Amino acid sequence: MLLDVKDLSLSLKKNGKYATILDRISFQVEKGETVGIVGESGCGKSMTALSLMRLLPEKARLDGDINLLDENIAAYSKRKLEKIRGNQVSMIFQDPLTSLNPLQTVGTQIEESLILHRNMTKEERRTRVLKLLKDVGLPRAEELVNEYPHQLSGGMRQRVMIAIAMACEPQLLICDEPTTALDVTIQAQILELMGEIKRQTQMGIIMITHDMGVVAEVCDRVIVMYAGKIVEEGPVLELFQNPTHPYTIGLLDSIPKLGQRKQKLGSIPGTVPAPGNMPAGCRFAERCRHTMDICRTTVPPMFDIKAGHQSACWLFDEKGGDQDGVVRSDELETALHH
Amino acid sequence: MHALRFVAKRLLLMIPILIGISILTFAISNTIPGDPARLILGPKATPEGIEELREDMGLNDPLYVQYGRYMGGILQGDLGESTYSQRPVLNDLLRYTPATFELTMFAMIVTLLVGIPFGVISASRKDKLADQFTRVFALLGVAMPAFWLGLLFLLFFYLKLGILPGSGRLDGGMAPPDYITGMYTVDALLTGNWPVFYAAVMHLILPGITLAAVTIGMITRMTRSSMLSVLKSDYIRTAYAKGAPENRVLYGHALRNGVMPVITLLGMAFGHALGGSVLVESVFSWPGLGQYAVNAITYLDFPAVMGVTLLIAIIFIMVNLIVDTLYFFIDPRLKHD
Ligand SMILES: Nc1ncnc2c1ncn2[C@@H]1O[C@H](COP(=O)(O)OP(=O)(O)O)[C@@H](O)[C@H]1O
Ligand code: SF4
Ligand SMILES: [Mg+2]
Repeated sequence: MLLDVKDLSLSLKKNGKYATILDRISFQVEKGETVGIVGESGCGKSMTALSLMRLLPEKARLDGDINLLDENIAAYSKRKLEKIRGNQVSMIFQDPLTSLNPLQTVGTQIEESLILHRNMTKEERRTRVLKLLKDVGLPRAEELVNEYPHQLSGGMRQRVMIAIAMACEPQLLICDEPTTALDVTIQAQILELMGEIKRQTQMGIIMITHDMGVVAEVCDRVIVMYAGKIVEEGPVLELFQNPTHPYTIGLLDSIPKLGQRKQKLGSIPGTVPAPGNMPAGCRFAERCRHTMDICRTTVPPMFDIKAGHQSACWLFDEKGGDQDGVVRSDELETALHH
Repeated sequence: MHALRFVAKRLLLMIPILIGISILTFAISNTIPGDPARLILGPKATPEGIEELREDMGLNDPLYVQYGRYMGGILQGDLGESTYSQRPVLNDLLRYTPATFELTMFAMIVTLLVGIPFGVISASRKDKLADQFTRVFALLGVAMPAFWLGLLFLLFFYLKLGILPGSGRLDGGMAPPDYITGMYTVDALLTGNWPVFYAAVMHLILPGITLAAVTIGMITRMTRSSMLSVLKSDYIRTAYAKGAPENRVLYGHALRNGVMPVITLLGMAFGHALGGSVLVESVFSWPGLGQYAVNAITYLDFPAVMGVTLLIAIIFIMVNLIVDTLYFFIDPRLKHD
């Protein structure tokens, strides 16, 4: 197991009060596997990623375990974390325009990871930087090393970010919406590059996105998040063909289909509850079409749908509880045919 | 090439600015009530004598004729004669400017050496004790009147402790170093005259720090706020994500970005210090432009007032040009656009 996250919770201070941003999140990433994390904006995807990097705001409270290759890095000291970041775990951020230092050359910025983590001579580093630039598909590497970020296009900058992240051949690569800030054609090129990297290395990749299209393209498995919790998890094909959680179904419905005008994710009516003001039971209850009594009082646990496919929705409670079977299968019918 | 064109453009722009300033000063000095001729001749002057002198000085000509005559003189390097000191204004300026320039430069060096580190510490220790301390310090610097601070310094370091000199540029009876730049510290250094160098530096300390108090406050606050916004930026997060330790992030990534807007403020700060030198020179009997200007205004010495104003304008514009050019070279974004 490359990454094993257990009961990860995060609280952040906002306006003097702590609010729970992530609530007991658990998931795994295997070597060579690409796991997508999807969900509407504000559901905690970036905070999950930053928790894994331990790059949280100063007054963050983090609970739970983050086991990277059987070492719990949630308990690591600053010094030990610095040895891991950029070395075993790398991250690519959403906005390539602002994520590079405007006053340093491309070469210097890629080289920095090597200086920090590898015992290389200046010559070796230069060779490696040039190779990285070629690997991420950037032409004229020799000149590029001496150029500044403002001289590059958005797509080129994101390639540079990828080169920085790949410099020390990390075991885990976290991508936080790496294509969101780019135009569509460039998005496709960057996704293609990600796919290539995925095929050529044994890295585990976490691909954060709010775009189901990106998931379909590069992911093996998907985690669906809603309001700081994981609501459904499963293999990509299974999840696309057999989505179970009403929220996942809503997300998939909002993908624009051929010949249809593009809709926003917000086509699910209602809004996400704010951190610090979460309902007692299921967090989706306010927006769900199938809300039952139990949904409002008790948080649904993850129910097994199939091997590797789980859903946090009371509709899939095998034992039935207070709910009678008839209602449930009715609800399921509507849910699945929507 | 870009930089050259940039500098050339700015130098050309100086001409209309200087003409504007000269017209303004000329107009203002000639509308102030008070008759230089009467002032020169004293209380016992006869109206006929005054009228004669006015005619001699050209004060009866229309303003634009007087202005034209003045500007014509400037083009030939003639700034007129000071009515008070009876010497050519150019000679006076050459004599007093180095003293003021030395004092102002000293204050700017102190400002940079104190203001930028204080701002960086303040930002990196936001809301901690070091931050509170520097913020109070910066506020005091900005808020405290310079003459009052100067008097406090005099009282304490000169009168009470007696460890620092309180007036003039050198110890009494000490001969100035051979004239090269007119700045005693520089000239003493160039001629290897150590006792004079030491004395000149000691004499700079109190007026220099008094003059720097305001600009230290300005630069500290600017550095702090600029560093705070830089530290929040995405590329700082990228640096941490690479595994860079805090000090490397702070000094390798944040500092250079954070200092950029501070550089643009340096020209302003220099101008501020130049203006502040008028008061500070009076407090510390520093024989510079400030004192000369005060005298010139008191005695309605128009050629001297004009000369000082134009000179200060030129210095101010040149310093800002140097600062902007510096910025041009430091920020790669300007070089390529
Ligand atoms: N620095 C912060 N302090 C407090 N709350 C924050 C901070 N950053 C983000 N949040 C909150 O955390 C929640 C999750 O944000 P985020 O992880 O950025 O969402 P996503 O990446 O899924 O769009 C949001 O409700 C957001 O308001
Ligand atoms: S638990 Fe209830 S409210 Fe929540 S998604 Fe399932 S049916 Fe809807
Ligand atoms: Mg995000």
